[in-house]
Amino acid sequence: MTAKPKPFDKVLVANRGEIAVRVIQGLREAGLASVAVYSDADRTALHVLAADEAVRLGPAPASESYLDTARILAAAKETGAGAVHPGYGFLAENAAFARACETAGLVFIGPTPESIELMGNKLAARRLMLESGVPVIPGTSEAVREPEAALAAAREIGLPVLLKAAAGGGGKGMRVVRDEQELASALRQTMGEAKAAFGDDSVFVERFIDDPKHIEVQVLGDGAGNVVHLFERECSVQRRHQKVIEESPSPSLTDAQRAAICAAAVRTARAVDYRNAGTVEFILAPDGGFYFLEMNTRLQVEHPITELVVGVDLVLAQLQVARGEGLPWRQEDLIQRGWAIEFRIYAEDPARNFAPSIGRITSLHAPTGPAVRLDTGVYEGFDVPIHYDPLLAKLVVWGENRGRAIARGKRALSECVLHGPGHNIPFHLWALDRPEFVDGSYTTHFIEEAFDPADFLDPLPAEDREALLTAAALFEAERRLSVVKTPDPSAACPQEEQQKTMTNWRRTGLRAMTGRD
Amino acid sequence: MWLKKRYLLRHGDEQVTATIARNGGGLAVQLDDGPLRPVDAAMVMNGRALSLRLGNRSHLVHLTHRAEPGRLEATAVGRFLDLLVVDELRALALDTEAGGAAGGVLKAEIPGVVVDVLVEPGAIVAKGDPVMIVEAMKMQNELVAPTAGTVVEVPAAKGQSVNAGQTLMVIEAHEG
Repeated sequence: MTAKPKPFDKVLVANRGEIAVRVIQGLREAGLASVAVYSDADRTALHVLAADEAVRLGPAPASESYLDTARILAAAKETGAGAVHPGYGFLAENAAFARACETAGLVFIGPTPESIELMGNKLAARRLMLESGVPVIPGTSEAVREPEAALAAAREIGLPVLLKAAAGGGGKGMRVVRDEQELASALRQTMGEAKAAFGDDSVFVERFIDDPKHIEVQVLGDGAGNVVHLFERECSVQRRHQKVIEESPSPSLTDAQRAAICAAAVRTARAVDYRNAGTVEFILAPDGGFYFLEMNTRLQVEHPITELVVGVDLVLAQLQVARGEGLPWRQEDLIQRGWAIEFRIYAEDPARNFAPSIGRITSLHAPTGPAVRLDTGVYEGFDVPIHYDPLLAKLVVWGENRGRAIARGKRALSECVLHGPGHNIPFHLWALDRPEFVDGSYTTHFIEEAFDPADFLDPLPAEDREALLTAAALFEAERRLSVVKTPDPSAACPQEEQQKTMTNWRRTGLRAMTGRD
Repeated sequence: MWLKKRYLLRHGDEQVTATIARNGGGLAVQLDDGPLRPVDAAMVMNGRALSLRLGNRSHLVHLTHRAEPGRLEATAVGRFLDLLVVDELRALALDTEAGGAAGGVLKAEIPGVVVDVLVEPGAIVAKGDPVMIVEAMKMQNELVAPTAGTVVEVPAAKGQSVNAGQTLMVIEAHEG
């Protein structure tokens, strides 16, 4: 760490969607001006509407807009922004971008480029973790090129093993091997895939853990060796390595395990003198062992559950660290209180095997009430574009305990109305009723094992079904017949009037209609 | 005068007939062969949701029209239904059209009595406009124009009994 960063009073948010809106909200609360950037598909997106200033980057494809470093830096220069917040995704973990910001005299609200680079390389990160006493999955610390070496490693580690591209991510360049006979050809294929996908055929061998849980720890570092953790999140409800539901605390940890895993996360961050908010991800094995998976050097999608359970604001904390003012809290000030769950609302239709859906949002009602938070990047009337992540919003609830958080989640999800694109709210309601979710035993295989797109909804209760069908018929009839009353606030006694109508109806209506007394 | 109207609701493979009956302020709905139940309905939220009371049981149903005619998205208590709602006679008219018949002829589908003729020859109508009320099986049904065009012939008069298949109105379709 060198001198204090340059002060800034305006921040460019190099992102879109709900996270850009979330950051802009934080900037406003911090008394800082905000600059949104947008592609042609996003001129009317919520983050553009929410920001103080907005600058067009370019055409819809991310490569020509949200991933274009030169255009983003030009926008910062044009608006006089003094800092850049990258959100998550896009350029958030791009060391070259962080470096370019620094070179341009902008404060990068994130870690140093060196931290990003180190954590972006799985083998290098693994070596550093071993040195720092952070448990890693048993496996090779060096790339394995020859089948003989792979076999020796597999025998030492124990089958099944996972062959994993050093430069990989998002489930690409990975292969599970359960049989020694398959090892040689699996190695050849994985190296080929790694070469093709990442331009680097380094592959390492590690123990494959059946039925794992995904546990991660939120940390915050000041870049001068001071690091605090903000406890764990469990993110085992995943589909193709994409998280869908997250909760904090994890229902799977004992107090001793929690203390150990949080301490390991702090060691991880200290090992790189980490600056900024970050997340250390672990795999929790069925035997209770946990292993370092990777570190995400940015604000995480699921940061709100930590905010609710610990009672902090991570965006404001990021800003404080970026201004060189140090950490806002001491470790002993941070405690977990109650339980929080986040439901990611994706424009993906669970009944069609989570096929992405786009189009205009024709109706949108946000849930309200105690301890309900909706981080959203959309609004009624917005056309969801096809070019980007399908995450529309995140519904986050807090309860005094896990049971109450689940009940509140159900209540809030049931209040949600989202018409237009298909979405996964029905999936969330399904998940909350599953015994594996209710008892907390779910693993990362939960969706693939328990979810059937063709048949996941319980039959509607008869009363609700009758109401839905009746309302639909009346709604259609209303177009021409005006069968339905619209409340008239000027009516003297609308309730009495209504009662009279109903009474008359009962007295004469049914008889007249059925011809019976 | 009781006016009844029937709708076919399709949801996936399921089809339900909803009969709406009204008289002045009174409103009742019957689903398939179920009981005819009085319903107290109020349009709320700027015309995008219906508050229903079935008995005293209160329901809030959010509804949005999709681009295709009769296609609705309906939501209550976290359940999202895609529905196709068509009135019964229009469904028949659409089926006839699909069968290749000239669109401009409105025929009685079942025997009944013409209660009212809402348009005269020479009138210009849009597809779906109500043009006639026919009472059949104790129900008053609103018949709609099967096509946009000019009414050229109304062989059926008010009070007249008509048979199934009898031509009630001929509409000359507008080009384009």
